[in-house]
Amino acid sequence: MAVDTMTSSPAVVDESVPTRFIKPGTAFSVLGLLLIVIAFAVVSTGDTTTIAFDRTLTDVEWALPTTACVAVLGAIAAAAGAWMLVGLPKRRLKLVSAVAVTAFVLGLLFWAYSQPGTVFRAESILAGALFLSLPYLFGALSGVVCERSGVINIGIEGQFLMGAFTGVLVANVTGNVYAGMVGAMIAGLLSTMLLALLATKYQVNQVVVGVILNLLALGFTSFMYDQLKKAEGLNSAFSVPTLSWGPLADIPVLGPVLFQQKIFVYIGLALVFVVWFLLYRTRWGLRTRAVGEHPAAADSMGVNVNRLRFWNVTLAGLISGFGGAWFTIANSLAFGKNMTAGLGFVALAVMIVGRWNPLGVLAGALIFGFTTQVARDLDASGGSVVPGEFLQMLPYVVTLVVVAGLIGKAKAPAADGVPYNPGDK
Amino acid sequence: MSTDTKAPAADQPDAGETPEAKPSFMRLFGRYLTEANSVMVTIYSLILAFLIGAILLIVSDEYVRSTYTYFFARPQDALSASWYLVRDSYIALFEGAVLNLNTLDRFAAGTAEFGDLLRPLSETLTYATPLIFTGLAVGLAFRAGLFNIGAQGQMIFGMLGALIIGFSFSLPAVIHLPLAIIAGAIAGAAFGAVPGVLKATTGAHEVISSIMLNNIAGLFLVWAIGTGFLHSETKSDLITKPVDESAVMPKLLSGLSESLRVNWALPLGIAAAVFTWWLLSRSTFGFRIRAVGFNEHASATAGMRIGSTYVTTMAVAGGLAGLAGAALSLGVGSSGITTNTALEYGFDGITVALLGRANPGGIVAAAILFGALKAGALSAQPDVPVDISTLLQAIIVLFIAAPALVKAILHLRTPRGGLVTLEAKGW
Repeated sequence: MAVDTMTSSPAVVDESVPTRFIKPGTAFSVLGLLLIVIAFAVVSTGDTTTIAFDRTLTDVEWALPTTACVAVLGAIAAAAGAWMLVGLPKRRLKLVSAVAVTAFVLGLLFWAYSQPGTVFRAESILAGALFLSLPYLFGALSGVVCERSGVINIGIEGQFLMGAFTGVLVANVTGNVYAGMVGAMIAGLLSTMLLALLATKYQVNQVVVGVILNLLALGFTSFMYDQLKKAEGLNSAFSVPTLSWGPLADIPVLGPVLFQQKIFVYIGLALVFVVWFLLYRTRWGLRTRAVGEHPAAADSMGVNVNRLRFWNVTLAGLISGFGGAWFTIANSLAFGKNMTAGLGFVALAVMIVGRWNPLGVLAGALIFGFTTQVARDLDASGGSVVPGEFLQMLPYVVTLVVVAGLIGKAKAPAADGVPYNPGDK
Repeated sequence: MSTDTKAPAADQPDAGETPEAKPSFMRLFGRYLTEANSVMVTIYSLILAFLIGAILLIVSDEYVRSTYTYFFARPQDALSASWYLVRDSYIALFEGAVLNLNTLDRFAAGTAEFGDLLRPLSETLTYATPLIFTGLAVGLAFRAGLFNIGAQGQMIFGMLGALIIGFSFSLPAVIHLPLAIIAGAIAGAAFGAVPGVLKATTGAHEVISSIMLNNIAGLFLVWAIGTGFLHSETKSDLITKPVDESAVMPKLLSGLSESLRVNWALPLGIAAAVFTWWLLSRSTFGFRIRAVGFNEHASATAGMRIGSTYVTTMAVAGGLAGLAGAALSLGVGSSGITTNTALEYGFDGITVALLGRANPGGIVAAAILFGALKAGALSAQPDVPVDISTLLQAIIVLFIAAPALVKAILHLRTPRGGLVTLEAKGW
């Protein structure tokens, strides 16, 4: 809540003194030990986990003994947890946590891919993970631009739907897929403009209106989908080519992941740095952050709070609208009712994981993209012990855990969601 | 939902005017009509929504659009095509929801029963019933300052809870039916409490956590229906076993005609609305809910436990949504439930609660209105796109949530005491 964040002042702590971290320490120790138990009790001794480089080095396959790998990774996670329990310098905490999480996740992966018939196709999975992280990335970046100026954008889901629908429609009408992308951006812009108007001029509850705008977008696109179905050729799938960067595309792992992707990937990565630069290195960024933290102070310095918020939210729609085009154009799909399936909300969780910072958002989006990709891959391979529905739940469960685990520590902009009325001072 | 007065001084009606002679009734009435009070905002929201709906019908219809290509040569073509399209569409909605004029003719001629005449109304009330429960689930939480988007998931778990008790035993109906209903409520309450617990212990915003739980519940339902425990023994498609006959929700008007689907869940819904009204306005717990919703910091200072209020409110809300699920599971009668049974009653509950302004009485009225929209849209498809009901609902509540927008569009005056808006909350 806005009030709490204002009053808590940062305590001065010497970061090199060893400190005990009981909760995460216990958690990682238990999870690590659990992996070791799994390695010896659940995994059969002869099982192997196969890693393949399926795009570049097609003849290389590594078959690793599952039990040993899972046990070692479990031991690493448990050791990291134990170190936290004994006490470690605070500045090492992030690194040790990262190592523990990575070891645990890798351990789970080794276990999951130990079933006969499943192969961890490293290049396809990593490239797919980057591609699948894009909706989260676009949605979360749009959220960052809005929320850094103090407006909650719960309507990302709706902006995705509008972008996805309009992108295909415009591409069909003009016959040009790039026009479709621009159309998607404009649709996103118009949707957020409504939110911006309501949030600044009419000072409504942003969460309530965001949810209503989502319903509106769902109703509108579904309604139009049924109406346009009657006419031929307004909702045919369009696609964009995969760009291949010549010899760079043949580098093992890096090539398929970074240099053999669709234009959406490059725009997404570029946007991360553009938004970061704008937020932290320009006058507009400083003003945006000021308005999000303390609008009255910014106002007294001569910033027109509500005008800045209006344009920030409106322009953020360009990003989420483009993210909508990902669902249809980037995936070479026609529009379908409610095809965004709640990912707009997951994007908000990604924004929180990324602590309202574009670089953090990139990291969060990649984690979510990876989770989604692995779940899909395991589901498709059919070798999974867990039912497909539970695998599909993974991004949602991760979101839940992240939102519950981080929100207290990750601080939202202080004035996030609070309408600013210059007359109230 | 708490009321908040925001009336810029310049807009105050007649501020500083000396009292004149008592104005006539007509003048007062006229003044009432042009004022943005909550009754008129509701009425204008409905009118504006149907107007916007009409425009969307016109621009999205291929044939009507084609008549507009030669608008300047023969404008009457375009205008009459538009008029007939809108008229026919809205009449089709009306016939599906209230009274079928065709049946009325047949009834007058003696070829239709009175029960046939009531069929559209029965459909409306059938669709309204779950909406009453989910609307209450959203509305009750609203009063505590919680935005419960999770009614859909809570309802799904209520469906499963009632279903399992419904088919597992064979008991006398007087015991079995209430038992299955309570099971639905408990399942919904347990699932509903989760966002409350998360908010109370970690501060996770209930909007995100309950949306995630909706997605999880939806996938869980798909999985659960496919399991041997729930899956139908006789059918191969994705459908569950039916509940035992003793747990089937009896029909309300089976004396008139067996085709009237409205069942005893409707009176149960109205009872739930009365209970919610009592809870909110007559009980200590309800006082706590409203106090926390109005100002959590003041309530905490006054010694109320905010966290436990969140958890119990969400549990009660979940229980109400669970009842919607029970009504669906036990209401489908001899067939089982499918992934489609839940429709979008949970999400529609949000719009119902907003239109009903989180008041139990308003929620019942809003549920009947939106039930009518749904019944009308379902019976009018495919001539009218079925999602017109979602679209109209969303437009209506958008105006309800932003009365200033209605006021600006129609140049209404600010009422004494200001506009009724919703209190804003951050993360």
